[in-house]
Amino acid sequence: MVAIALEGVTKRFHDVVAVSELDLVVEEGEIFGFLGPNGAGKTTTIDLMLDFIRPDEGRIEVLGRDVREDPRAIRQRTGVLPEGAEVWGRLTGQQHLEFAIDSKGVDADPTALLERVGIPEAIDRKAGGYSKGMAQRLLLAMALVGDPDLLILDEPSTGLDPNGAREMRQIVREENDRGATVFFSSHILEQVDAVCDRVGIMRGGEMVATDTVAGLRESLSTDTVLRVTVNRLEADTVQAAEAVEGVSAVETETVDQPTLIVHSDGSKTAILTAIEETGVEINDFQTEEASLEEVFRAYTTAETTA
Amino acid sequence: MTNVHPESVVAIARKDFQDSVRSWVFWGLSTFFFALLVTTTASIWYFADDPIFGAELTTGVLVGVTSSITRVIIPVIALILGWKAIAGEWESGSMKVLLSLPHSRKDVVLGKLLGRAVVLALSLVIGFALAAVVVAALMGGFDVVDYVGLLVMSIIYGVAYVSLAVAVSAMTKSTTIAGAGVFGIFLLFYVVWNAAFNAIQLLVQFEYIDGVEYTTEFQGEEIELLRLPDWAYLFDMFDPGTAYSNVLTLATDAAEIEGAAQIEADMFHGSIPFFLQDWFSFVVLLFWILAPLAVAVYHFERVDL
Repeated sequence: MVAIALEGVTKRFHDVVAVSELDLVVEEGEIFGFLGPNGAGKTTTIDLMLDFIRPDEGRIEVLGRDVREDPRAIRQRTGVLPEGAEVWGRLTGQQHLEFAIDSKGVDADPTALLERVGIPEAIDRKAGGYSKGMAQRLLLAMALVGDPDLLILDEPSTGLDPNGAREMRQIVREENDRGATVFFSSHILEQVDAVCDRVGIMRGGEMVATDTVAGLRESLSTDTVLRVTVNRLEADTVQAAEAVEGVSAVETETVDQPTLIVHSDGSKTAILTAIEETGVEINDFQTEEASLEEVFRAYTTAETTA
Repeated sequence: MTNVHPESVVAIARKDFQDSVRSWVFWGLSTFFFALLVTTTASIWYFADDPIFGAELTTGVLVGVTSSITRVIIPVIALILGWKAIAGEWESGSMKVLLSLPHSRKDVVLGKLLGRAVVLALSLVIGFALAAVVVAALMGGFDVVDYVGLLVMSIIYGVAYVSLAVAVSAMTKSTTIAGAGVFGIFLLFYVVWNAAFNAIQLLVQFEYIDGVEYTTEFQGEEIELLRLPDWAYLFDMFDPGTAYSNVLTLATDAAEIEGAAQIEADMFHGSIPFFLQDWFSFVVLLFWILAPLAVAVYHFERVDL
């Protein structure tokens, strides 16, 4: 079964394309890491999945239902931790959880939920006095109400210290063991790396890579990074390098001299030739091994052309 | 209505009640309505023998005097209670938490209206109930039906304004714009509507708009008079404040001015149009509850959140 399916989804805000022809499938029972820098379109994609916003094109199904048709039925079986959300200052922890429990029409114990997220002592305190991390834990507890089939966590580590982030990942694993599908967004690789079965990397509104974590590591071992120092950059230099077979990503740097950083498992000569054909002069080049961090960076860093 | 889930509406209303209402607002309002009724009753009782201002202390007179005050005060209270209902959830960043839970957007608008309406209704009920003891003690023949009529109509009148405020709040993510919007509503019904009606009267007097001629008897003589066209009266009837005053004659025995009914009958050649009958004012109040709600739901269900 498929938990989440997006088909050719495009969303524009006025004339800005936030998400462009996005296809994505998340299988039931997997932990999917949704990576990308801030502004890549991750939250827009999640908002589309929750019917907070409507796509200009394409179809979205969550838990086997069209999100436009019955978003309420989907949310009944989904726990959501929205990005940058705030708690209600005048409600206590207990009242927050009671609201979630009433809203879902389920039986759950607020004390047990708060114990699970590590803030049982805050149950009778008004959430207005919580720290950022405590508020985030309370929102996670609300998302867990009713043992949802799908958990959608948008930047769940926001405001958590490393210890809190680790506890959060532990809960994600427990929920997954229970049978829940987890869709988990982050702009930080390590948080996803440790816990996810599969990751998707988004940049500029497009999915630039979807693979298992093992698959990403695999591509890392064959990938080499070519640093090419040139005398200047032409408008089409980057595109020319990207067009070469085997090239997965191209970054540019202009710290001392203009430099192209090309990730590729193909021919070095072909890349160098393609760069020269755009009319620039190659001063120097060297090859490096890529780390997972660099692969992610290459995928997610926007091109900077001087 | 489809896509309304009573359990969601109640859950949101309860959450809203807990979150939005500081307890002093609630008790402050209750005390205010209590004090208003007691003061009004005591004043009428005190001045009952005054040759100029004096009037016998009856429930009818109490309703008349009180409603002329609540007509002005209740809208202000209701608009203030309602304007942040939805825009405020955006401003504080909690709207996504609310909508992540299984509620339809219609549930959110209705739940918000219910939550705020209950604050106003409960404080009116408490204020009226406590004041009833004092009022009944001062008054000879206390008419419970009239008194409850004033209470119920005041609640409906207040809910209409809460609905207007919640609707404005659903149209924007900015409480600043929502604030400007409810201020606009305040101006519309306190200034613009009356001014427009006065303008129509002037235009008829100066014959820019055709009036309607009618004959009536005045001190035994037949006289020819000019009245406004029907649509002008219909327009006037849609002012919620006018509707509130009118509907109180339906709910209570607040006396009509002697002879007014006869003149009205003459104006319309014996058959008074439906919109000038008291029951229509009740429909107008319901209209001001439902119409803003319908617009708010229509907008809120379609907008990108």
